[in-house]
Amino acid sequence: MSNRTKASLWARYTSKSPVFVTVFSVVLGLVVGALVIIVTSPVILHSWSQIFASWGGIFHALKVTLDNVGAAYRSIFTGSIVDPPQFWHSLTTGKDWTAALTPISETLTYTAPLLIASIGVGIAFQAGMFNIGANGQAVMGGIVGTAAGSMLHLPTAVHVPLTLLAGILGGVIAGIIPGLLKAFTGAHEVIITLMLNYVIAFFLIYTLLSTALQQPGQQNDVSRYLDPTAQLSPLFGAHSGLRVNWGIIIAGLVVAFAWWFLERSTLGFDFRVTGANPKTAQASGINAKVVIVLVFLISGGLAGLAGVVQVSSTTHFLDGGFLVGSAGIGFTAITVSLLGRNNPIGIIWGSLLFAALNVGGRVMQASTSIPLDLATIIQSVIVLFVATPVLVKEIFRLRVEHAEAVQLSVKGWS
Amino acid sequence: MSISEITSTAVQSIKRPVGRSRAIGTLTLLLGAFTTLIFGLGANAASKSNITFNPTNLIGVIPPHVGDLSVPSKASCLLLGLCIVAIGLEILLRRPVKGLMVRFGGSAVLFVVGLLIWTVRTPGPAPFGSINMTAVLVGSSPLVMVLVFGALSGVMCERAGVVNIAIEGQFIGGAFFGSMIASTTHNFILAALMGALIGALLGLLLSFLALRYLSDQIIVGVVIVTMLASLSSYLNVQVLSPYPQYNTGDLAPKLAIPLLAKIPILGPVFFNQNGFFYLMIILVGVISFALFKTRYGLHVRAVGEHPKAAETVGIDVIKIRYFNVVVGGAIAGIGGVAFVASYGQFQPGCTSGLGYIALAALIFGKWRPSGAVVASIIFGVSVYLANNLQTYNVPVRSAILQTFPYLITIGVVAGLIGRVRAPAADGQPYKRD
Repeated sequence: MSNRTKASLWARYTSKSPVFVTVFSVVLGLVVGALVIIVTSPVILHSWSQIFASWGGIFHALKVTLDNVGAAYRSIFTGSIVDPPQFWHSLTTGKDWTAALTPISETLTYTAPLLIASIGVGIAFQAGMFNIGANGQAVMGGIVGTAAGSMLHLPTAVHVPLTLLAGILGGVIAGIIPGLLKAFTGAHEVIITLMLNYVIAFFLIYTLLSTALQQPGQQNDVSRYLDPTAQLSPLFGAHSGLRVNWGIIIAGLVVAFAWWFLERSTLGFDFRVTGANPKTAQASGINAKVVIVLVFLISGGLAGLAGVVQVSSTTHFLDGGFLVGSAGIGFTAITVSLLGRNNPIGIIWGSLLFAALNVGGRVMQASTSIPLDLATIIQSVIVLFVATPVLVKEIFRLRVEHAEAVQLSVKGWS
Repeated sequence: MSISEITSTAVQSIKRPVGRSRAIGTLTLLLGAFTTLIFGLGANAASKSNITFNPTNLIGVIPPHVGDLSVPSKASCLLLGLCIVAIGLEILLRRPVKGLMVRFGGSAVLFVVGLLIWTVRTPGPAPFGSINMTAVLVGSSPLVMVLVFGALSGVMCERAGVVNIAIEGQFIGGAFFGSMIASTTHNFILAALMGALIGALLGLLLSFLALRYLSDQIIVGVVIVTMLASLSSYLNVQVLSPYPQYNTGDLAPKLAIPLLAKIPILGPVFFNQNGFFYLMIILVGVISFALFKTRYGLHVRAVGEHPKAAETVGIDVIKIRYFNVVVGGAIAGIGGVAFVASYGQFQPGCTSGLGYIALAALIFGKWRPSGAVVASIIFGVSVYLANNLQTYNVPVRSAILQTFPYLITIGVVAGLIGRVRAPAADGQPYKRD
């Protein structure tokens, strides 16, 4: 720990820089993912049971292990970023660009709502509040947005913005409830938002089965389809075959807004002061109640926007599985926000990484029959380590700072 | 604590009870009015409701036959509604400070009974003209049992000042590995031990990261749930699907207690259950006693309320927290095994958020084992009814009814219904100076 030299890379490696902790957490996540593949793959386990059967058995076992784990991770990479041979083929012949660009296009498509929701969660974190209800708020945004997008019939120039605004409104409605309750009754936002997630999940089922939002003539929990005028169109036109759409532009605008808001605006400064030290905030005349309500209003609104972008760009309708389980971008957003240390630029990288893991995970599932859940396992391990920077530093023998808690809302219930 | 904070708390503690009893009184009054107007006046005067008490699907011990109870639907719903109205008026006029929750809980029970009577009225829309009370209680008992396990786990952890939001993850872990052991060995004691081990390991992970590295307990808890949910789904595809012999879905045998099992109604509900149910009852007693009647419990509560003071008088804060979180994890792990032992095969997502309802029960039960039991009964029965009322053709969507536990918890936490206070140091990291 004390042998710091003047070599700049070494100095940075041992520095307090959170970037290295994050990078090493990702490495650890991939290692744990590899271990999970190894202990559940019959082929690999069989090869290890044969290491004493012949000379060179151990090398064979190692080769089988590397081949299988390598195939899984290779398919995640080629499925989410770029497949080099395919890309080289397009580059040299100038043909098949659609196939070459599809992986990155898919990743960006998935990134858009995730990035927006993560920014929402990140802003709440910056203000010292834990919005664990982003998923419910996103679902609410999806519901209201789908209602506007499928039951109104307007020209595109009006309909798309209106649908997005409706989504934001839905998120605001779902977000302002915990905000008001926290501000005026002192209820802990984690419990309220956690419980609201379930209330909204059941509300979704209710709207899909018993209201006008249900697809006419359907008995199942399926909503009406969004009008084509309410859908976010592909960036390069429908004929390009690439699904990447205006959602990613909206996400970029949200990032720009968040950066401006947190770094340049007065209200954003109030948020950050409240997050850093509520007592200072109170002493300097910041109205805590107003801040709490506004935090949840903005955070919920962004989550709602994420939900409506998901509907408008990708699914075009709602069903009972909307944002459920591993598709729950609102939950992934919490982990992305932690990964990006709650700042907009960090969140961009975090959401790209997690989107790539999800998109690539699907390709991996198709090509190697390893379940997509592996991506979620890797993600949760990464976040576990990111939330525990000192442990990562100990594992990699980085310079250990005095054990300080991650600067987050470590607070009690009451 | 600054002066203004102290004054604001003081003002709140003076102001709150009055507003609270008004809120609860109004709510109770509304409940009563609803029962009277919708159930009472909405029923045909000639309708009758049958309430039966004889269990239908019992194997083995069958208690003696009890006659059915046939009541006029309209009159009984009116009576029940007026009772609730009376309770509401009593709260509004007398403004009692204590026993508000008891009154509200009692009205809720009357309301549910009214709902059931109204539901099965004949002639009416229901396909069956009777409601089997014993079957309702027996049917919801496994849910209640799992919730109690989860809530007890929460009591153990949070009384020592560590928030265990990972109960759901410990349920999943216990359910998965417990079901595997039960399927291969057909021995539910081994399965319970396995569940306890998995839950304890997850508790150890939580306490290790939270106590040694001061990580945010809520984040670690949420991540543990995500990790276990995805891991169990992954292993389900990779291991359980190709080898169905690891997931046979054996149910734990019912152990009827001689004589007691023959008591009508109570027998099937309390004395003809599997071993996990009895274990749950024993655990409630043991934990209540340990927390409130022993030196150990005093230490735990001191650690949860004011760790620094506890440290000053020589209590090892970190050690107590490790111990409680690991034991709490083990209890939740057994809860997961109890789930598969009562419902059969493990499926990904089978615990369906019960861990969070258990968390809600813990809060509703004011961080006390006895309160947690009462809350678990209310939530468990309401979830069971929500899942099964559709069979009686109730014009209430089950999705609406299923939000009940969550809405109640929000109301409780926000102080609209009753007021709860977490242990003061709950969720706060502790560091020796």
